[in-house]
Amino acid sequence: MPEALIQALINGVIAGTILAVPALGFTAIFAVLNYPNFAIGALATVGAYAGWVGNTAFGLPMAAALPVAFVAAALAGLAVQWMAVKPLEAAGALMMAIASLAAGLVLENMLRFGFGNELRGFDLPLLRDWRFGAFRVGPQQVENFVLALACMALLWAFLRFSRTGRAMRAVADNRDLALLRGVDPVRVAAVTVAVGAGLAGMGGMLVGLDTSVDPLVGTRLVLSIFAAAVLGGLGSIPGAVAGAIAIGVAEEVAVLAFNPAYRLVVGFVAILAVLTLRPAGLFGTRAG
Amino acid sequence: MTLLTRRAAFAAGTAMLAVPSLARAQGAPIRLGTLTPLTGAGGPYGPVMANCVRAVIAEVNAAGGVLGRQVQLVSEDDQTNPEAGVRAARKLIDVDRVAAIMGTWASSVTTAVAPLCWESRTFLATVSGADSITALPHNGWLVRTQPNTTLQGRKFGEYVLELGAKRAFFMAPQTPFTQSQFTNMKVALERGGGSADLLIYDANKPSLRTEVDQALRARPEVIVLGGYTPDSTVLLRDIFRAGFRGKLLAFAYSVNQQMIGSLPHEVTEGIYTLAPSPAEGSGGFDRVKRIVGSDNPDPYTCQIYDHVNLVLMAMAAGRDGTGQAIRDSIRRVSQGGGERVDNAVDGLRIVAAGGKVDYDGASGPCDFTDAGDISDCRFRYEQVRAGRQTLLRIA
Repeated sequence: MPEALIQALINGVIAGTILAVPALGFTAIFAVLNYPNFAIGALATVGAYAGWVGNTAFGLPMAAALPVAFVAAALAGLAVQWMAVKPLEAAGALMMAIASLAAGLVLENMLRFGFGNELRGFDLPLLRDWRFGAFRVGPQQVENFVLALACMALLWAFLRFSRTGRAMRAVADNRDLALLRGVDPVRVAAVTVAVGAGLAGMGGMLVGLDTSVDPLVGTRLVLSIFAAAVLGGLGSIPGAVAGAIAIGVAEEVAVLAFNPAYRLVVGFVAILAVLTLRPAGLFGTRAG
Repeated sequence: MTLLTRRAAFAAGTAMLAVPSLARAQGAPIRLGTLTPLTGAGGPYGPVMANCVRAVIAEVNAAGGVLGRQVQLVSEDDQTNPEAGVRAARKLIDVDRVAAIMGTWASSVTTAVAPLCWESRTFLATVSGADSITALPHNGWLVRTQPNTTLQGRKFGEYVLELGAKRAFFMAPQTPFTQSQFTNMKVALERGGGSADLLIYDANKPSLRTEVDQALRARPEVIVLGGYTPDSTVLLRDIFRAGFRGKLLAFAYSVNQQMIGSLPHEVTEGIYTLAPSPAEGSGGFDRVKRIVGSDNPDPYTCQIYDHVNLVLMAMAAGRDGTGQAIRDSIRRVSQGGGERVDNAVDGLRIVAAGGKVDYDGASGPCDFTDAGDISDCRFRYEQVRAGRQTLLRIA
């Protein structure tokens, strides 16, 4: 059985790395705007469709289709923020979360009207896995893994070195102090939403590459994304990555331990355990 | 001028109000509902099913309706999801007050909706296959036109043996039919000296690599796919990537033309599929072909065509536009001899003239057991060849 365990670990790390991309988007929005944006699933779906259109209608390779997914999801994220969430800002985080949930449903059904329910596949050859002794790994998995790492590296560089990235971190750290220092809150909020939604869009496309694209492709990820962000600590960027990899590995290893039909339990148990034992999450500094 | 007493005025007013309402009741339309999956895994089928019912009702209304009343259709979406299905059924029953709900597709939806129907005396006609559905205490308020999973499971097991294999591995999401499908497949296989294993997976998981690894450890000669289109797509990709060279067998509703179009050919090529066969060549089947504008209408559209025709004729035979009349009279128009009909317009004319009809539909003879199962069904054996579902035989 150790072979099965190692294979499940490999699968889990790769799945978790891809999950980390939308989880980063989710946690970034929470860090700066202080509400959980549950439209993240629908935004991932927007990105998946945009990447699919770029690939199949315009013949873009994957690395070029990813920015298309980012931009489309970023624009959709801004629309959700301005039209649904912002008008309810005064009512508190719960109302904003509910508004984002509703806006996600609207987005999902707009996509359904536009593209129908059919499954859409990227114009990619499906390759057999590479085998290394008893273990196997797919070329597409490796490409997705590398693309996911590149997305995360770009995000890290943006937050670390750009003026806007530093302003975002400042607002996340201490909003009042950042405002005193002349940071424009409207601009920072807009950039955060755009970057967060764009990351979700890229994550949706990466999942779509490995499976297929349909109006529920992102919605199916929401629980895992939320569990990853909670586990890592809501609002913590490294936490989202660690949480996503932990959830990815746990979901795969769980298949070996008990009936795979109960995979959802992994996400819920992770959330429950964190909220009970360490409400701030693995890397978080504040509770809730 | 005579002054009206208060009592006379009240009586006159009541009479004036009552007359039009009585007149309205005479001509009030009969409402019927469809509850098909317009979205979710059943999304490819539900819209066509609802349109087929709409076309049949339009024909019947043009020919004078049922019992002199027009028929109104209310179509709702169950989203291939029991929770959404229950909400939509509540609306059909409580707000629209339909006499019958037709076309529930996923077994999980039908299982959830059926108790609402029998409690509210609303008739339910379904295309779901799980054995457990007709075993519910529905007391005659439900019929189905899909063969049950005892029969389907046995056919799958026998087909595995026919493909020259002994070891099968059944991979399916959790549904009300998964266990009975597997059990009956296993019994059929073991009778022929074979064996079968089962793995139930989570249909929402974006990758099933570890599950496929688990299956391949059993060294199966045939992998049987028991899921719906979206999760089977994920599963087939991962089976291909894993380098599985054995045979694949699936339900035709999951490995359908839409899935074949969305996956590279080498992934779907050679997959065997099984499906209950519509009554090709029958008058009802030809009518469905005309309604949907396709030479190859799917089995569920054929079945819901039968639902609406049977429901309309049962109301006429029971002399009442209610669920109770449908429940009490459906077997009087579906079986037991009489003039053969394949559509409600002809059937209603005969019933109105005092005749007896025996309906033979687009999906088959539509003769029901006391439990609500169909008593006869043929199967369609197909294989994906050169990117198309190719008919091998109907048996």
